[in-house]
Amino acid sequence: MERLLALWVPEYAEEKADGASLRTMAALLDALVSVCPFVEPIRLGLLTLPLRGPSRFFGGDEAVFEVVRATVHDVAGVTPQLGVAEGLFCADLAARQGVVVPAGEGPAFRRAQSIEVLGRRDLMTTCRRLGIHTVGAFADLPPARVAERFSAPVRVLHRVARGDLQEMPGQRDAKLPERLRRSRGEEVHADEQMGFFGQRSAGDDRAQAAAHRLRHRLGVESVLVAEVLGGRTPDDRATLVPWGAPRATSRDQAPWPGRIGAPAPTTSFRQPVAVDVVSETGERLELSARGTLSAVPGAVVLRAGTRHRVRWSAGPWPMVERWWQTPRRRAHLQVLLDTGEAFLLMTEAGRWWLTGVYD
Amino acid sequence: MAKSKTIPLGAPWGPLVPEGGLRRGSTVVVQAAAGHGGLSVALSLLSEASARGHWVGVVGIEDPGVVAIADLGIDLRRVLFVPRPRGAWAESAADLLDGVDLLIVRAPSRASHGAARRLMDRVRERGTVLIVVTEPSAPWPLPADLSFVVTESKWEATSRLVARTLTVRVGGRGSAARAGEHVVRLPDEQGRAAS
Repeated sequence: MERLLALWVPEYAEEKADGASLRTMAALLDALVSVCPFVEPIRLGLLTLPLRGPSRFFGGDEAVFEVVRATVHDVAGVTPQLGVAEGLFCADLAARQGVVVPAGEGPAFRRAQSIEVLGRRDLMTTCRRLGIHTVGAFADLPPARVAERFSAPVRVLHRVARGDLQEMPGQRDAKLPERLRRSRGEEVHADEQMGFFGQRSAGDDRAQAAAHRLRHRLGVESVLVAEVLGGRTPDDRATLVPWGAPRATSRDQAPWPGRIGAPAPTTSFRQPVAVDVVSETGERLELSARGTLSAVPGAVVLRAGTRHRVRWSAGPWPMVERWWQTPRRRAHLQVLLDTGEAFLLMTEAGRWWLTGVYD
Repeated sequence: MAKSKTIPLGAPWGPLVPEGGLRRGSTVVVQAAAGHGGLSVALSLLSEASARGHWVGVVGIEDPGVVAIADLGIDLRRVLFVPRPRGAWAESAADLLDGVDLLIVRAPSRASHGAARRLMDRVRERGTVLIVVTEPSAPWPLPADLSFVVTESKWEATSRLVARTLTVRVGGRGSAARAGEHVVRLPDEQGRAAS
């Protein structure tokens, strides 16, 4: 089971009148995406991320903790409590206790918890009368007996106690991702492709009619709309899809590369353009296994042979995606040419691509 | 949406143009050297209108950066893109004019006088706003009602690109003739347009 790193930030766990908790959560989420794109807001004050990938990337769990602590400190000015365990139920507890549960010891950790952590007074009182004080002892009750004695919600908690379920109902604030999006001023829904806000305005109808005519004139692939798939960071999942096409169900589209941070390129090539990046002395640059470049970028050579001198460059940034699942090493580079143009470049397997232009 | 005579223009542009907005039926030309912010300027002219519920169309921008567009404050739910109109850019633009309130067009390098004329006439008739993105090497063949010419572009960079400062000459015909050079940040740190 996946080991989760949970970050507990008690200072922002409560709703604040000025919305500071929500804003801080949004800022933390944005900052932590560069550590791991799969960071998830669970509820105010609590975030999780899968530990394995980042740990490989940063060279160990401790290194990840360091990066995460520093990031949270930079953004929120506080130090988070960190915990690691398998599954959300245990990871949440681990974070609030500040412990790292070694791989494989999750069940023992879970069983040792006080029955209180299941959060129901009626369950606690009854269990105490039965001499049951830990999650483990509760888990050992046969499901049939639990079913006789307790209501349906407690039966669910019993499954959590046994380790059949990884999270308690209500542990996750289901409305939080949507609120975070709104706090950014975005109200993008996966199920609102064309902006029907419950009711269609005359403008919507006119736009639909025009799109229809154009598609008829130019073909089905000609008119595109942006589709924003539900993802952890709203802005990394925007893609263009043909207008009126059946909606994508797959959520495994290539994410926006690591969200290097605003600004984003205004031109983003659907099919990257092959280029060469060479040093001052004309050698092609290579990305080492450690993620460094073989030389300082000196020029970008477009396929036509035109050569543009690089005035400034930044990176390389490893591409933040599930790269640890596929053996791909990719990185991005920003360059400023002496023409004044700014490019976003990508390298993979010794080749270079132009992926975006900051026009 | 009730039709007012102008379409609102947000910061930093609003105060820099005559009526504080884009007059319906007018043609706006944005001119910049390749990669010097022309597209950003054109898109930023849409932000306020889009946020207020107007539909916008984008024709001939081959690979629009959706993230950047969203960062500019444009509501992606009300944008129709026609990235590759092939030979039919003028017809596509004309078709789309009927369905949107603002339309960005990047015309092919040799937009004919006649095609430009017809499109501008149609824009006037429909009460849409046409925003044409051009380069100095291939200017729009007719005078525009309002023009934004990027004369200088400078990036601020730390360990990455942070923001860009553009010097833009705003001009136009008639009441828009109070031409002036203005410095804007586009994109700023948040990917938006700022003064």
